[in-house]
Amino acid sequence: MWNWIKYLDRILRGEATQPSALRRGEIDQPTGGLAVIIVVLAMVYGLCMGTYSVFRGGHSAYLAAFATVIKVPALFFLTLLVTFPSLYVFNALVGSRLSLLSVLRLLVISLAIMVTVLASLGPIVAFFSASTSSYSFMLVFNVVVFAISGIIGLRYMLITLNRLREASLLSEELDQAAVELQGEVPLPIGTLEASQGRATHREVMNVFRIWMFMFSLVGGQMAWILRPFLGSPDSHFSLFRVRGSSFFEGILNALRHLF
Amino acid sequence: MKAFLMQAEAALRGVDGDTQSVGILLRQWVMTISIFGFCYGAAMGSFSCIRPERIAQVVFAGVKVPLLLLCTFTLSLPSFFVFNNLMGLREDFPKAIRLIVSAQSGLTIILASLAPLSLFWNLYMVNHTATVLFNAVLFGIALGASQIILRRHYRPLIEKDARHRVLLRAWGVLFAFTGIQLAWVLRPFVANADRPVSFFREEAWGNAYIIVFQMIGKLLGR
Repeated sequence: MWNWIKYLDRILRGEATQPSALRRGEIDQPTGGLAVIIVVLAMVYGLCMGTYSVFRGGHSAYLAAFATVIKVPALFFLTLLVTFPSLYVFNALVGSRLSLLSVLRLLVISLAIMVTVLASLGPIVAFFSASTSSYSFMLVFNVVVFAISGIIGLRYMLITLNRLREASLLSEELDQAAVELQGEVPLPIGTLEASQGRATHREVMNVFRIWMFMFSLVGGQMAWILRPFLGSPDSHFSLFRVRGSSFFEGILNALRHLF
Repeated sequence: MKAFLMQAEAALRGVDGDTQSVGILLRQWVMTISIFGFCYGAAMGSFSCIRPERIAQVVFAGVKVPLLLLCTFTLSLPSFFVFNNLMGLREDFPKAIRLIVSAQSGLTIILASLAPLSLFWNLYMVNHTATVLFNAVLFGIALGASQIILRRHYRPLIEKDARHRVLLRAWGVLFAFTGIQLAWVLRPFVANADRPVSFFREEAWGNAYIIVFQMIGKLLGR
């Protein structure tokens, strides 16, 4: 467990994703332990979120808080489960050299950043949950907190992707130098011909950008499906609500209630 | 006592106590905030102290000012730590905390220096709203002055790495956002003489921002 926390610490400091640590453009470090830390941190945030229903009291308040503790990690992993296959397939289609394991590790690391930011904002959320009775405010506030952590996590993913590319290029140059030493000269690239690697990298980045957008949409809608997280004071506890409406409609309604 | 006052003066003048361990610095900070914050809080709370049985309200207000600063700091610290890490400035984090802590000590010292003004105001003013506004102005002056201390303290860090400027702003946003709500929960700082003596208001658990949103809504005619 301590090693996992130390690994998270190295990720936060940026040491784990320095180009020197990403040999041959791959993430070597296993991320299984990190997944456990992600679950724990997401549960911590779920607990902070769940304080809203505890402080509002009422029937099954503790049960509702417990459900939120379980639902927050579930939200992240289910969203990943839904979006990961398409990311990998499109990533492979545009010719990326990232292996399945590397893509998965990259996503787990980014998720770790997301939930760490989320958990660090947890005490503030818990304080507002305790002192605020307005359901709409807490809904919008939590969406903002999730958005902040999501933006930071996804930005981290793009930066790491660039670093993976740098590490991969460095490794290629070394390989090429070794080939030249052996007397083999690679074919020259034409003046107007785009470097194959560079074109591919641009496409890979685009695939990841589209995926980020998709991840946000699916995440939002997944949260809507898994609701209630906070538990409206007007309604009785239920593990899930009836299907209908959408995440964006819910947010618009909450914003309308604020004013 | 002399050492404590000298340390308080150092915080005010922006002399960095780099040689002290973080533990000693935090202890001194809690002491400074508690003592000087209590002075200002008690002066502010003396508004409704017209009868001996209301003396508790002075103590309550005195306790609330350090409580407000300490709790806001504690709530904002975890996210500030994570943001420092993410910006790659983990090595400077202890230094940043020293500077922030020192500037907060400066804030309470400035507040304490304004306490006589607040006390003087309370001697002749009977209007509750005017007193709340007057204290808000004093608090604003102290906050502005403490920002000058913080910027002065932070300058070497920003010169070393411009990313510290972003983090300083992030700290300001976090601290203000949490502090405003905590101040709302901890009210009354200036108790109304018509109300019974109490630490919290009966309707304390509300949200400051909701009130602002509702006011904006009213202004927009909704």
